[in-house]
Parts: sequence; structure tokens; C-alpha cells
Amino acid sequence: MIEDKKPRKGQFIETEVPMGTVHPAALEPYRVRFFVEDEIIQEAEITIGVNHRGVERIMEGLPVEKANALTEKICGICSNIHTWNSVLVAEKGLNIDIPDRANYIRVIMGELERLHSHLLYLAHGCEVLGHETFSMRAFYIRETVMELLNMIGGNRVQYGVSLIGGVRPRCELNEMRIQKIEEGMDTLEKNLKNFSDRFIADPIVNSRIEGVGFLSLKQAKKLEVTGPCIRACGYEHDLRTEMKEYNDFDFDIITLDGCDVRSNLLVRALECFESIKIIRQAVKNLPNGPIVNRSWEMTDCDITKHYIEAPRGILYDSYALEDGRVRSSIIRTPSLTNIGATQYACIGNHITDGQLCIVQCDPCFTCTDRAFEIINL
Amino acid sequence: MSLKAYSRARAIHVMLVYTGGCNGCDIEIVNSILSPRFDAEQYKVFLTWNSRETDVLVVTGPVTHLNKDPLIKIYNAIPNPKLVVAAGSCALMGGVYKNIHGDIPSEEIEGPVENIIPVDAKIPGCSVRPQDVLSGVVSLLPKLLDAD
Repeated sequence: MIEDKKPRKGQFIETEVPMGTVHPAALEPYRVRFFVEDEIIQEAEITIGVNHRGVERIMEGLPVEKANALTEKICGICSNIHTWNSVLVAEKGLNIDIPDRANYIRVIMGELERLHSHLLYLAHGCEVLGHETFSMRAFYIRETVMELLNMIGGNRVQYGVSLIGGVRPRCELNEMRIQKIEEGMDTLEKNLKNFSDRFIADPIVNSRIEGVGFLSLKQAKKLEVTGPCIRACGYEHDLRTEMKEYNDFDFDIITLDGCDVRSNLLVRALECFESIKIIRQAVKNLPNGPIVNRSWEMTDCDITKHYIEAPRGILYDSYALEDGRVRSSIIRTPSLTNIGATQYACIGNHITDGQLCIVQCDPCFTCTDRAFEIINL
Repeated sequence: MSLKAYSRARAIHVMLVYTGGCNGCDIEIVNSILSPRFDAEQYKVFLTWNSRETDVLVVTGPVTHLNKDPLIKIYNAIPNPKLVVAAGSCALMGGVYKNIHGDIPSEEIEGPVENIIPVDAKIPGCSVRPQDVLSGVVSLLPKLLDAD
């Protein structure tokens, strides 16, 4: 593969295949323009901003508890991680210690969410590459996780687990719930193992995904790609190893060096097993004690930042507190950097693989559409 | 049951239009029709993305500025008889994005869906449950089957 796939300056590409904003192949509204020569994509351009709701602007001046609840509505796939990070910013700014049990429950929810996000990715990826049976199987496996999330959080999508100082009382894990989580993990591991064995061994699927959507490590680093996308390029980087929340847990970082759709799919499938490992450890060593620390005082604080490893990459949150109200809030979601990689991965592939190349980077345009200005790449 | 109603009941096509929500409702609706747990396809309800063959239009999200015109275009492209389901609290009343500041309206949101196109059924919830989606679509079926 050629390192730099971009067309030369001054090169004129005649054919354009536009898609969007509401298109059969895409669930979320975005606009993509493929510039095609002999059915090979020479250049791709993704435009977002259709579902701009101004979340950062309406966060301005809200009481911090309300703002934390609002961050959950940024994304329906990784809703928990947004609240978690927003709460962590406030806790860092106000120097609040949270009980160990609360931290463990947050980690369990975070990992369950990672499982559901990765399984959704696998299901969506299989659907786009045209294998509906695998897609159905992944959706079916995902239901186990959704039921566990529903049991702990009380809702299938918006759980609202974290609050400043700990977790909500309704998310307390009693013996019955712990047993259900353990049983769920057993079923999940068994089903997931069957699924991945079958998936790797399938020659038809492999011929469709191997070598498609190539993104070199050098390019990925240049574009600041985060999360499983950069791990699929062979670069070992996971923020969970540096986070103090994950200090007690033992897990591996999965890296593959295929740089294509196949390694992207496999990295996520293998990461699911690591998540199962973390949940088992958390449930086994769950400390006793209170789940919320209510003895804290609201003071003013300067702009505080916090980074966290979301299922799709690194999520950044920052705001200042003034009289208990949020000021100058900025949220940067992982997809913002991964969109660059998405555009780049399309180049050099057949037009029929274009959608697959977009899906491989797992972009979530809903999360990302709060930025006021997207820098041209 | 007339021949028209009989044949209509055997191919109900649902189209999902997403107008700027948080993605939660969309996944649940796709889940409720497509995925093996809820599986509405066994009752011959299909998910389509072609507005010309749609019977039931499911709208989610609070309708942002840029999504208003595409939504009207899609609605006009659907042949009669057509039904519209608004799913999720964003589609019903603008959701958290429109109402979190109380009386001060948000500049970004055009919704709820009722302001833009006529709505036949409303499914509450943030996000909607798959069971509710199914019962919402099923409650509309008599209207669809008895239409001329």
C-alpha cells in the first residue's frame, strides 16, 4: 500500500458520488462526497453539522447537577461515559473523594457500556458488509448486556448512574443483581466466543474485509486517531491504564497491526473479552460501604479538564464552576478526530466498500455535532 | 377484511427518520424491528429506507434547523395512505434540548415534530422501549388498513 494516498495538487477528478443527508446506508444524518475515478475512490469528504443542537451552549449557566444530566443526552450509545466524565470534572475541581464501592459500580457500568457499544459496532459492521446472519447474532448477544444495563440503571439507554460524590441509590448492587451479572457474563462469554470463532473462520467474510480501508500507523498518528482505531493500527495506547479508577483491575491492551477493517472488527471483539474480565474482577472484589459521599461543599473552581477512555476513544470534558453553575464548557468526543481517519481510509478502495470504510472507524456523528467549527483536513 | 386491507397487512413498511436526537431512540427502533429479540419482521413489518414504499413514518429527534426541509420533503414523497409516529420525548415536545432553560426557547431546535408535519401516534419515553414502539405501530394499523 502507498503511504500517502491523497491525490496530487491540481489533479482534476470528474465524477462525484454524493450521499446524504438521509441515506439508506447510514443511520445518522451526515453528508459524504466520494470523488471517483474508474470506480476507485480518490478523495472523500464528510460534512457534519446537520444535527447541531448546541449542547455546550445550553450547558452554559446551568446548575452543575442539571448540566451533568444533560451531558448524558449527548449520545445514546455512550451515554454513561459522558456523565461519568462530566461528574469526574466536578469531583476533580471540588476535591471530592468518592467511596470505593461507588467507583467499582461506575467501572462495571462503564465496561457494560463498552460491551454494548462494541457489540453494536460488530452488528452494524456485519450488516454493512452484507452478512445479515452475523449481524443478527451480534444483536442477539447484545440483548444480554442491555438487560443487565436495564437492571442496574433502570433504563435501556439513558441510565443516569453517576452523580457528584458517587452513584445513585437505585444502582446499588445487591446479591441478586451480582448473581445476575455473573450469570450474564458467563452467557455472554460463551456466545461471544462462538461468534468470534465462526467470524474469523468464515472465508467469505474475510475476503470482504481483508485489506479494505487501509490506514497506516503514520497517518493515524498524524490524524490523532484514538481508541480502538489506533489499536487496530498496532499502536498500544489505552487511557484506562493511566486512569486511577482502573488501578485495581488487571487487563490487557489488545493491539493488531492489520490497519484494515478486519483488524478493526477483531480488536473490538477481543476487547469485549477484556471487559468481561474487568467486570468479573469488579463483581468479585466489590468493597462494602456507602455508595455516595454527600459531605462536600460547592465552591468556585477554575477550568478543570478530565480525559477518559470512552468505547470509541478519548473523551475530553472541561468546565469551570461559578456559584454552582457551569461556565465555559467544552466537550471533545473521540469521533471528532476519527472522522479524519474515516475520510482517509476510504481513499483507494472500490466505491462499494466506501460505506464499510466509514463504518470501520466507528464514527458517532451525533456525539460530534456540538463543535462550532470543524477544521478542514 | 377487504382484499386491499388483507394485502396491506402483509407488507407494512416502516421508515425511520432521524432529525437530531441522541441516537438512543433510533437504535431501539431498529432493534425492535430488525433484531431477533423483538423481531417485528415475523409479523411482516419491514424496515425500509425508501420513502416511496413507506406506510408508517417513524420520526425521532427534536428536528434541528437543517433537518426541517428534508423531513417535509420525505413526508411529501410518501404516497397515501400514510401515517406518522413521533417516537421519544424529543419528537413529542422538543426534549431536554428545547426545554432545559424553561421559557427561553432554544435557537437550534425547530421541533416538536407536530409543528412541522401532522402526527398520528405518539410514543413517549427517553429513550423509547422496543415494546412501546411495537404497540404504537400496531395501534395505528386499523387506520392504515381501513383507508381508501
